[in-house]
Amino acid sequence: MKTQRLSRRQRTLLNCAPIDEEPIRDRSMRSAVFRARGSNEFANQQSFDRAMAALVDAIPIPAESAEWFSAKDFVSASKWTWRKMARNPAVLAVGIAVLVIAGVFIFYFVSRLNDFPGSATARKLLTLASSTRSVLLDPINADAGTLGDLFFMKHGLEHYEVPPEFADFRTIGCRVFEDEESRRIAQIWLAEKRMQLFLFPAERNAKTGAVLRFPGWRYIQQEGWTGAVTEHNGVCFMAALRGRENDLAPYLAEKQ
Amino acid sequence: MLGDSRKAQEVFHTTLREAALRAPHGELPNEPFWLFREARWRCLEESKTDLEAEPLEMKEHEITPEASLQIEQFEPTQLAVWISAAPEPQRTALALFYLNEFDYREILDLAELKLSELSRLLASGRRQFQAWLNTMVPQVPKV
Repeated sequence: MKTQRLSRRQRTLLNCAPIDEEPIRDRSMRSAVFRARGSNEFANQQSFDRAMAALVDAIPIPAESAEWFSAKDFVSASKWTWRKMARNPAVLAVGIAVLVIAGVFIFYFVSRLNDFPGSATARKLLTLASSTRSVLLDPINADAGTLGDLFFMKHGLEHYEVPPEFADFRTIGCRVFEDEESRRIAQIWLAEKRMQLFLFPAERNAKTGAVLRFPGWRYIQQEGWTGAVTEHNGVCFMAALRGRENDLAPYLAEKQ
Repeated sequence: MLGDSRKAQEVFHTTLREAALRAPHGELPNEPFWLFREARWRCLEESKTDLEAEPLEMKEHEITPEASLQIEQFEPTQLAVWISAAPEPQRTALALFYLNEFDYREILDLAELKLSELSRLLASGRRQFQAWLNTMVPQVPKV
């Protein structure tokens, strides 16, 4: 009978091929046996081995020893364990893939958890804050709370008011500029811890035009800067400084 | 392994006794085949005192389709004696393989052999036994 060509390793394995025709667990052995199945040489070996095993099985075992073997098998089948399963390369690969996917999912979930209407603009403004120098702003030495009138009178910006929490801090400078979406943004530089304040239009519903409101203060982080954002009368206010949430929290707590 | 049921029984009982003594102290190895490894080591120790056959070139014949019929005419104890007379590690390889309780990886582990060595030992063992069969048992005529 015609047989498939066998590699050297497969010929080596075939000499150790299992005697019984039970399912073979070892993949390389299974493949070698499958390829050799049609050959006369292998058929002779198998019939030889079966006859030998039958003869070995018939070797008498003294009664004293035989009573020790209560079960049919000398060796119990290896137990299925989590550790064994975890060592399986396929399981390991799938496990790592699932962990990475779960990690990415959690990362996005956590980052989305802190999102609020206007958070995207606030992040962009934090990036801007990190690169702004005070010389770019028009110098002005006044209480931050008084600048709302200036923005209204000079630039026609309604409700661009600094909240009471930051109204008493002295300013170094301010400016009004337009972002890439032509929204008018007011930027104020404070003497206090080189903090920057931003006032920008709140996000609106694309269909109805209604302001998307959110209660209280929301924190965001970007490039080592932290911002605390609140919305009032359709205008978002953000106080930003280089540092962490803990550095900003005392300012918000004071007036509350 | 020993070709002598009395000695085999002695080794078996000594191995079990040793295991029973070590078990209460938690000294039993945590691996599945330690009992077989222990028994094999004792068999090798036991056979050291036996008379050893002079090493000689064994004839080897290709396995024939009639081999199984020839083997059927043998007594089990004759096969046991033949295997026990094989040199180490061929004796261990043949004994463990034809016990038909272990797969080849387990035999490699137990006998501390490489795959190529086990393969060679089994292949030559088969051919040598076939040569012996041809000498001892008349060829069964082909039908």
